[in-house]
Amino acid sequence: MLNKSLRRRIVEIVTRAKEGHIPSSFSIVDVIEHIYGHVLRYDASNPNWEQRDQFILSKGHGCAGLYVVLEKYNLLSADDLANYSLKDGILGGHPDRTTVPFVEASTGSLGHGFPFSVGIAIANKIKSLPGRVITLVGDGECHEGTIWESAHIAANQKLDNLTVVVDWNQSGAQLCPVDDLPAKWAAFGWDVHVFNGHDAADIENAFAKVGKVGKPLALVAQNIKGFGASLTEGHGPWHHRIPNDAEYKELMEVLS
Amino acid sequence: MKGLREQFADTMLRLGQQDDSLVVMVGDISHGILQPFAKACPGRFFNIGILEPSMVSVAAGFSKQGLTPVTHTIAPFLIERSFEQLKLDFGYQHLAGNFISVGGAFDYAQLGCSHHCYTDVSLMSHLPGSQVFCPGSAEEFDVLFSAEYRASAINYFRLTENPHGVEFDRKDIQPGKIICARTGSEATIVALGPQLKNALAAAEALAKENIDAEVLYVHSVKPFDSDAIVNSVAKTGRVVVVEELSAQDGVYNAVLRAWNGRGKMQSKQLAIDHFIHGYGSYDDLCERSGLSASNIEQAVKSLVHHEVD
Repeated sequence: MLNKSLRRRIVEIVTRAKEGHIPSSFSIVDVIEHIYGHVLRYDASNPNWEQRDQFILSKGHGCAGLYVVLEKYNLLSADDLANYSLKDGILGGHPDRTTVPFVEASTGSLGHGFPFSVGIAIANKIKSLPGRVITLVGDGECHEGTIWESAHIAANQKLDNLTVVVDWNQSGAQLCPVDDLPAKWAAFGWDVHVFNGHDAADIENAFAKVGKVGKPLALVAQNIKGFGASLTEGHGPWHHRIPNDAEYKELMEVLS
Repeated sequence: MKGLREQFADTMLRLGQQDDSLVVMVGDISHGILQPFAKACPGRFFNIGILEPSMVSVAAGFSKQGLTPVTHTIAPFLIERSFEQLKLDFGYQHLAGNFISVGGAFDYAQLGCSHHCYTDVSLMSHLPGSQVFCPGSAEEFDVLFSAEYRASAINYFRLTENPHGVEFDRKDIQPGKIICARTGSEATIVALGPQLKNALAAAEALAKENIDAEVLYVHSVKPFDSDAIVNSVAKTGRVVVVEELSAQDGVYNAVLRAWNGRGKMQSKQLAIDHFIHGYGSYDDLCERSGLSASNIEQAVKSLVHHEVD
């Protein structure tokens, strides 16, 4: 399994703060680690470098998965994570770009980060900036109308500098199933690639397409909510649950 | 006299040619009159589609990248339908932008309630870092927008289709300042935007009955010129506020806050307190809503004669 140490770190900070979405973070942490480790162009000494690529976590409740990756690449400190969701900390239960360097969008209410990303991608074209925009949305988030409004805009504006990663972990299917989510993105004019978001080679193959398909790119990740420990997998009460002492011990052992 | 929407197009053209950060995005209205801007500023005009909430979020992305977005469509769709985007993508994220509506209040009188908007000014005023303007003439829009569009603020301009018809000296049009349109001593009429026309007509009628009313004209709801209110009411002791806004929150509340703790004041508000069913012209709906010159006149008289209800 990829990124056991990042998953342990997620459990640590969520348990300490008694706040966080462990399964949602486990679902996306492998993809986010690849994006920061192998795809994004950024300057670690200058969060506002104008030429940079930008990653936007539109499903903001998975932010523990983002914070631990930013820490791994020295874009956040251990002290920052120690104060996650606590008084005087800069990291909250949803990301806030006004307080956290390298967080590009304040998200939380679903359906906001994606149209915001479309605006950044259009703006980069207006300003002839090379920066690419990668946005991660949930499949449940794909119930929101603004996702499809914005998919429409991106296709019309031919945004070949925009990639959406869809966390297709079947959360949305619990209440409002979509028969064929990749087909929906294709129908909106996007180039679509389905991949296993927990497999290193598959992830690498998917992200090799970024910026190379001549149109907006949808990478639909067949993820597993809570992937990494049987305790957290699936769509039960763990969505926003905090481990008790025994569960914490079990998770740490499974992820060791 | 030039309409405000035509002035909007002219102002975009003038500023867009000087400032390559200015980007204009519309939701399928005013695209015809904005073609001169589109031609003069290639790549910076978007008739983006009929998807107002996403349009607002896209504008926030523009702002984040250092552009100066101008986002334009009909008030209920730009503000009420899209308010969470305004709140989170601009307000929460400390981003600046310009929002320009038409169709505030009941300007689209014949199209019914779906195209009316009474709460836009209040909603935009709630956002920290916002400025809210209701210009009543083309020149006011040009002056106010030119002065403020690059400010680090969320600027809202509600463009009326019914200009008040009064010409002010450009130097007297200042963001956040009330203009005294008529001096008087017995009552203060505070009029917002297009209602200046009715306020002045009411003051004329009152003068014939030997009631001397002062008319204060408001084009800036936020920031609000509290000093001008205090100075006038200190003289008259009576105030009637007329505004094409929801009666729950607007200029009347600002007047009460300005005067709070300063002693006795008689006051009345003429505003919109119900959904307006039915159709007709703008003037018809002013009558139906109690926002006519005669309504203002009667309100002043009731204060002067102590007939407060």
